[in-house]
Amino acid sequence: MTYHRFTTAKTVLAACALVVLAGCGSGGSAPSGGASGAGPVRGGNLIFAAVQDAQSMNNTTVFDNNSIWIFEQIFQTLYTVTDNGKGVKPWLATSYTISPDKKTYTFTLRKGVRFSTGRLMTSADVKFSIDQARKATQGWAFLDTAIASVDDPAPDTVVIHLKYPWAPLLADLSIFANGVVPANYGGQTEAQFYQHPVGTGPFMWDYWHKGQALKLVRNPYYWQKGLPYLNSITWTDVPNDNTRELQLKGGQAQIDQFPAWSTVGSLKTTPGVHMYLFPSTQTNYLAFNELRRPFQDVHVRRAISLAINRAALVKAVLFGNGKPANSLFPPQVPFYDPGTPGLQYNLAAARAEMAKSSVPHGFTTSILVPAGNSDYVTIATILQSELRPLGIKLNIVQLDPNTVNNDEQTLKYDMVLTLWTMDIPDPDELATFAVDPKSGARSFFTAYDNPAVVKDTHLAETTTDPAVRQRLYNFVQTQSANDAFMAFLYYSPYPYATTTNVHGFFVTPLGNMHMENVWLSKS
Amino acid sequence: MGRMAFVLRRLLMLVPVAVGVTIIVFFMIHLIPGDPARTILGIHATPRAVAILHRQWGLDRPLVSQYWLFMDRLLHGNLGQSLYYGVPATGLILGRLPATLWLVCYAAVLAVLVSVPLAMIAASRKDGIRDHVVRAVPLLGLGMPPFWVGILLIYALAIHVRWFPVSGYGTGFGGHLHAMFLPALTVAIALAPVVIRALRASMLTVLGAEYITTARSKGVPRSRLFLRHVLRNAVIPAVTVLGINIGFLIGGTVVIENVFAIPGIGQLMINSIFQRDFPVVQGVTLVFGVLVVLVNLLADLSYAALDPRVRFDR
Repeated sequence: MTYHRFTTAKTVLAACALVVLAGCGSGGSAPSGGASGAGPVRGGNLIFAAVQDAQSMNNTTVFDNNSIWIFEQIFQTLYTVTDNGKGVKPWLATSYTISPDKKTYTFTLRKGVRFSTGRLMTSADVKFSIDQARKATQGWAFLDTAIASVDDPAPDTVVIHLKYPWAPLLADLSIFANGVVPANYGGQTEAQFYQHPVGTGPFMWDYWHKGQALKLVRNPYYWQKGLPYLNSITWTDVPNDNTRELQLKGGQAQIDQFPAWSTVGSLKTTPGVHMYLFPSTQTNYLAFNELRRPFQDVHVRRAISLAINRAALVKAVLFGNGKPANSLFPPQVPFYDPGTPGLQYNLAAARAEMAKSSVPHGFTTSILVPAGNSDYVTIATILQSELRPLGIKLNIVQLDPNTVNNDEQTLKYDMVLTLWTMDIPDPDELATFAVDPKSGARSFFTAYDNPAVVKDTHLAETTTDPAVRQRLYNFVQTQSANDAFMAFLYYSPYPYATTTNVHGFFVTPLGNMHMENVWLSKS
Repeated sequence: MGRMAFVLRRLLMLVPVAVGVTIIVFFMIHLIPGDPARTILGIHATPRAVAILHRQWGLDRPLVSQYWLFMDRLLHGNLGQSLYYGVPATGLILGRLPATLWLVCYAAVLAVLVSVPLAMIAASRKDGIRDHVVRAVPLLGLGMPPFWVGILLIYALAIHVRWFPVSGYGTGFGGHLHAMFLPALTVAIALAPVVIRALRASMLTVLGAEYITTARSKGVPRSRLFLRHVLRNAVIPAVTVLGINIGFLIGGTVVIENVFAIPGIGQLMINSIFQRDFPVVQGVTLVFGVLVVLVNLLADLSYAALDPRVRFDR
């Protein structure tokens, strides 16, 4: 054998040896369970490929959705959101009564509910949990401002006293921030507790390797008999859209969170994959800074809103998987008014508004876009060409996402793209945040101020008559659309792709998932 | 003693490097726009909530005061608390460092295993067909974007034939070896062309030396000639090239870590910059600086191991 062939042979042999050696590693675990069509089967370990890691398990302070959707499997609330996202249903409480003055709610707790430590839940735990949520200096305490005090007169009774009648109370109580934890954190400090949280939910803490994976395992003391079906769920941090999709196709994950819109069509026809588009409360907006000229001029804002072809945005950005927006509220929110036309695409009307404005010949302005966000860059590029007929020259300014966030919240922008998803099944949180300049967010960081709209928003909070609330919120929706303080762009669903052996997976319009109902079949 | 003194001198260099890195990174990350409090609070960032977090984190103090506090903690081995996760930055970084080191070392080993034989094949037949093929084909790897190469490898070896997992880090030594093969190969494909060309060039220089001609005329077998005389004398420039590229790799693995969902410090660095998680950014940059110095030190030490004529005396 000559030297060259020998060298080549050694090279090939070495390469093969390395591949074989590398191949002798552990493989992933295949899901267990019965054959599909045979009904729910107990067992299995589900891998959930998430777009980003969680931030914290502190349910009273954290705003990050990925953290929320995980710890909702651990902590539960007195009432929970219904599947259509428009109401609440009993959960850790079974019923309530309300005083004639509508300021005292008495809740009866469900019997036999235990924490994952085995200890029975009592009203003392509920009182402690809600009191902790109310006093969090940063976090969701603003939703509990109507609560004056919480009492626990009996182990299965909780009494909530309000400062004034408050229509959204049950919706506010359904938020994860009011999730029930052991009183006094089970003897630990708050910081220690949230490193290994304990709740009454279907799953309990296992581990969290930050930036890699967070695992929950079945709670053996869970109060819904026979549930959860799964042995465990592991959320993995997989920020790359392609990688999540490949993990799904390669069997390394069973759920792909938020696949790219461009891949939804192909995933619908991929064998072994089920593509879901769950109705959501997500709404995308174009915000105008009314502290900067000429956006204080309602005609300018209306002109821009009328010049936007929302159907084209839905097609270009969402690949058709969405709906043009007509209202500040999304359709899945209670008291949404489908009859509010909003300002839909009408170039002639847009030109007429510009003619009436303070800048009839147009102007130069800018839009802030987070660098690397291809959807927002696409929207901005489309807006650039759609505003040109009005004489508006739009410069797209791409900045790092943190800087865009900062500039938006300190009102250092002309126009910016933004979005909202509901946290409670009541429009109050969104309405107050969006239209009240004194809400802390300065009307969704636009400085919009219409006293009539603000007044009706606050009236709707203290009125418990649904018909009156509908009338008030109809006005809020119609007037805010006419004022065009933001251009309402589109409503989009929550896209999730799963392998076909995943059953029972459902996401409410608020993004909540009841993973206790999910089971895996063998095929 | 010469070698020991050399190592000590180089390790002492870590001190001014570390101080320089901390100063530059600290002031740069604090001076760019963006606020970690607003990142965490999201759209609920009221002025009051932001002020509370700033006070909690000491961000309301003057910058110089914040820097001295950071240095004081650093001298006690404390990198501070991650503003985003609320856990010690040291633990966060040390937890993610092994994945990056695995990737870099595994890629370097694969690159060497591929480069050395190919360079020998090319050098043994200068300007022949094998030489041209060996020089041209690896350039494809250099020209292709690493994320694209990675995705192709995933499709070929993890989807069509399920030899390897699509992504991840695995558990245990065997699990890491298995899970990290594709990402390491992706990096090696980009690294190998540079090493092959450097090694080939220096081999050709050595092949023209008189002692090689003497060895040939004495009847030394070709394999022994290459392995014991040519390679050993030619490898030092390639070690230099490899050392420099590994230094770049340490901070440059973020794309591969993103594609293969590897929980390394490259990805941690990028996320921390976006989140304005100052303590973690400072800590990771410090670690990068130290690792680059150590890699260069190892490269220098390897010269002496490969060539006994190399001395560390001044």
